[in-house]
Amino acid sequence: MNNTHWLIRREFWENRAIWLVPTVIAGLLVLAAVFGHVQFGDDLFRPDGAGEGVPAKLAMYALSGSVTVMFLIIMSVYSGWYLLDCLHADRKDRSILFWKSLPISDSDTVLTKLLVGLIIIPLVYFAIADLTVFLLALIFGLRTGAWASSGLWHPSVWLQTQGFWIYTILTLAVWYLPVAGWLMLISAWATRAVILWSVLPPLAIYIGERWMFGTHYFGSELMDRLGKGYALRAFDVSQGGPGWTTEIIHKHGGDDTMTYPTSLWHLLDPIGFFGSTATWVGAAVGAALIVAAIQLRSRRAEI
Amino acid sequence: MPPLIEARELSKRYGKHLALDRVNFSIESGRIVGLIGPNGAGKTSALRSLLGLTNYEGHLRVLGREPLRERTALMSEACFIADVAVLPGWLRVDRAIDFVAGVHPKFRRERAAALLEKTQIRGNHRMRELSKGMKTQVHLALTMAIDAKLFVLDEPTLGLDLLARRSFYDALVNDYMDETRTILITTHQVEEVENLLTDVMFIDKGRIVLDCSLDDVAQRYAAVAVSGAGLDDARAMRPFYERRTLGKTVLYYENPDFARLRDFGEVLTPSVSDLFVAKLAGEAS
Repeated sequence: MNNTHWLIRREFWENRAIWLVPTVIAGLLVLAAVFGHVQFGDDLFRPDGAGEGVPAKLAMYALSGSVTVMFLIIMSVYSGWYLLDCLHADRKDRSILFWKSLPISDSDTVLTKLLVGLIIIPLVYFAIADLTVFLLALIFGLRTGAWASSGLWHPSVWLQTQGFWIYTILTLAVWYLPVAGWLMLISAWATRAVILWSVLPPLAIYIGERWMFGTHYFGSELMDRLGKGYALRAFDVSQGGPGWTTEIIHKHGGDDTMTYPTSLWHLLDPIGFFGSTATWVGAAVGAALIVAAIQLRSRRAEI
Repeated sequence: MPPLIEARELSKRYGKHLALDRVNFSIESGRIVGLIGPNGAGKTSALRSLLGLTNYEGHLRVLGREPLRERTALMSEACFIADVAVLPGWLRVDRAIDFVAGVHPKFRRERAAALLEKTQIRGNHRMRELSKGMKTQVHLALTMAIDAKLFVLDEPTLGLDLLARRSFYDALVNDYMDETRTILITTHQVEEVENLLTDVMFIDKGRIVLDCSLDDVAQRYAAVAVSGAGLDDARAMRPFYERRTLGKTVLYYENPDFARLRDFGEVLTPSVSDLFVAKLAGEAS
């Protein structure tokens, strides 16, 4: 446990991008909010429109949603890169010989890096995204005085966002465990061109399967894993039913209707996610790949 | 008491290449052993096996442990410098100390700090900002602050200038060595270490070609410089190597009849570097 603490700190020393990248993005967003031209508020989210507060709540969803999605995308790319690099960088600069001269087991090393890649980096992004949404809401509220009264300040939306993030981080970690395991295996194994090695074997299997059997099971599974598969299982965005509401929005060109969930909680589908076979098959494959990465790590030294 | 390191039939294979070929040796506690050989002789393979950094064939025990399976436990009692250039460039000196202090139960922080205080190195320096000599000082300070039974150094002074090399070995012998410790050094620069060793092992093409204590060298090996007439008789005593120098021929013997040898001239104990050249060239011919 004590080792894990130091190993995590070590990752932060080495990979300053973990917090630098989201901090810079947050800074740019805040700058844009302070000096940029604020577009919305004119017609769509007029506080004197339908139902005091509701459109403002929607605006909060929109704000928090767009910032969240943006941070999620950047986080996924960075996290993927981190996992692909984390067992390779110290072999490349030979510092693995220093790390291995210390009484730290290879499984501690590999599992800590997995923890950083799948949980800690997302948590850092979450914290910074959270702060960004808070600052942006504050700035918009101050700049468009009209909002300040009805407010972007919805504690319930706030709480929902936290729950949404925690749920997303946990489910993403489980869903992408096989991907993380694969990236770490390549990281522990390849002597160079880690990106190429991470892509080529799956591509070869895909082409090989098509060519030999004319089928594309592997490709479909892969697309499901990397593409829509996660969102389909972890979230339920089918409209209507309890928890959804339809609101009439008054606009200049006439009225409009908008359907949205009364709470972000209604979007989460933990039963669908944890009840899916694909979730657990993937987790098992991921665990096997991680074990293989630990084995490789113990036998491979510098490049 | 069992030896500190015991290797029986130790082999290391890279594909078809046999880097270590059924090697046997043992190292007792309290010694300073030099594992000496040309580049590519198998020195590094031997050390990597000892330290649990690579798999191997054969029987190997270090501090009573099986290195590959028990590296973590082994590393709390042994330490090593694989090469001075392996401290990562992004790491700050003070954080390196924090980290080792955090994970190593036998690290004495104040000792590392005292060793570094004598240098120009500051805590907020990153490794990449330090010269190779300074990096060596940091690495040595980190390692010497560990109360280890076994200290392994692999080509520790590679790429260092003469001054840095000298102070490296001075620090090692004066500040570190005592009867509770054992040091194993590999190098291909024999001259540098021959005065501090208690034992030497020569390794060539994956095999140990000589393994003895320096005290025994005088009993086991002899060199005689012979000129002219006696040469054929001296050759009849089966030297393992001969070398011509300044009109004389120097002949090297292993376990000779010392009394008879004195008839040919003054019998000398060869230096480690002479012995190294003689042994390796002798093996080759």
